[in-house]
Amino acid sequence: MNEDCLKLTVYFGERKRAGHRFVADALLDLYGRHEIATSVLLRGVEGFGLKHHLRTDSSLTLSEDLPAVAIAVDTRERIEALLDDAAELTGSGLVTLERARMQTNEIRAVSLPAELDEATKLTVYLGRQERVYRVPAFIAVCDLLHRRGIAGATTLLGVDGTTHGRRERARFFGRNADVPMMVIAVGSGQQIAGVLPELGGLLRRPLITLERVRVCKRDGELLENPHPLPGSDEHGMALWQKLMIYNSEAALHDGQPIHRAITRQLRRSGASGSTTLRGIWGFHGDHAPHGDRTLQLGRHVPTLTIVIDTPERIAESFAIVDQLTNERGLVTSEMVPAMRATAAENSRGGVRLANHRF
Amino acid sequence: MNAVVWAGVILIGGCGSVLRFVVDGAVGARLGREFPFGTLAVNVSGAMILGLITGLALGSDEALLAGTAAVGSYTTFSTWMLETQRLAEERQNRSATLNVVVSLVLGVAAAALGRLIGVHV
Repeated sequence: MNEDCLKLTVYFGERKRAGHRFVADALLDLYGRHEIATSVLLRGVEGFGLKHHLRTDSSLTLSEDLPAVAIAVDTRERIEALLDDAAELTGSGLVTLERARMQTNEIRAVSLPAELDEATKLTVYLGRQERVYRVPAFIAVCDLLHRRGIAGATTLLGVDGTTHGRRERARFFGRNADVPMMVIAVGSGQQIAGVLPELGGLLRRPLITLERVRVCKRDGELLENPHPLPGSDEHGMALWQKLMIYNSEAALHDGQPIHRAITRQLRRSGASGSTTLRGIWGFHGDHAPHGDRTLQLGRHVPTLTIVIDTPERIAESFAIVDQLTNERGLVTSEMVPAMRATAAENSRGGVRLANHRF
Repeated sequence: MNAVVWAGVILIGGCGSVLRFVVDGAVGARLGREFPFGTLAVNVSGAMILGLITGLALGSDEALLAGTAAVGSYTTFSTWMLETQRLAEERQNRSATLNVVVSLVLGVAAAALGRLIGVHV
């Protein structure tokens, strides 16, 4: 287990260019050149940013420049080495840095430190065609997590990325066998620690990360409010906070999918931004893992909405989210120790890590 | 049929689709995102213009340029269908049904009105 890793996440518009190239291509080239342990490019379905311009795939005309998310995880030194280049390439968009633990190639039993004991977010990176005993690996992993009582798991399909340092980009023709995808799961520290050796047994070349989270809501039930964080750490470095809302396309609020209601109400309330991703397979709460079914018009895939803001604003946004997820959904909160948001000429935050213990 | 007419079809067809893009975007941005008003506006206005053109009884080349090239590229059947499917996929069954019924009723009415105007001009 490598304890001192960083997760660099960039949120930007799919059509955004850096010079004459797409930001998405430029970023993933950068991660490929640096042979980053794992990186994934995900395409979002809805979101807005500092400019409060809503992008959504709900109508064809307005789905031209959807949000994209690029995630890269490696050791602190390797991420710090490309940080400035990545931030410069991104231009306007959102860049966050979070602390993570990473384990590659072999998973041994771990005893989690006390701070990970509350609740832990486990991310398993897989190849698109990876199989476990003839079953697609993401289905096998979700089944295992569900059987072990983990609160929820969502499988997200990547379109580009690096796996164990090697660039794997999806092509129109081709098997795309090693193009990365990720399974994000949330459970108590003990449950996650218990499931890790089993995961190690399932996967040939596992690559996982662990992060500290708090489970705020499960199946609509309010368990805890997000951590009440201060606006800055002991040295005056700004702190940020992140909400992740795991839901299903089939969960409705007032006739529309809950994630759409959340995006619209957050945008109206003046929140700084949100991004929604649509998964392909997953579960939360007691529902068995599910995805879309053929010959069924309505969608059943899981959705994941990410909201990043100041701790003060997150408290306000959580009240909205709480109200909209009163029946279904898993909501977690995390601390984000560094964030830089840029929209046209104005910029806030920075990519230096804050230090705050809680 | 000659090269000039073909070139006209290509040019006018291109302009028609650009116009659709502009109208669809403008109407969509103004009237909200929950219902595909942009596509509805494009299709209904296109139906009326085509009705008007047929009512005017133009020559064959003019009819080809105005009808097939201009209106054909301006209106869109595929977007109408795809947006209906998307609405149904999100369980917006009322909107999906309305999208089909309203487009049909308004479209036929617009075509008839256009023809009526064309014949009497």
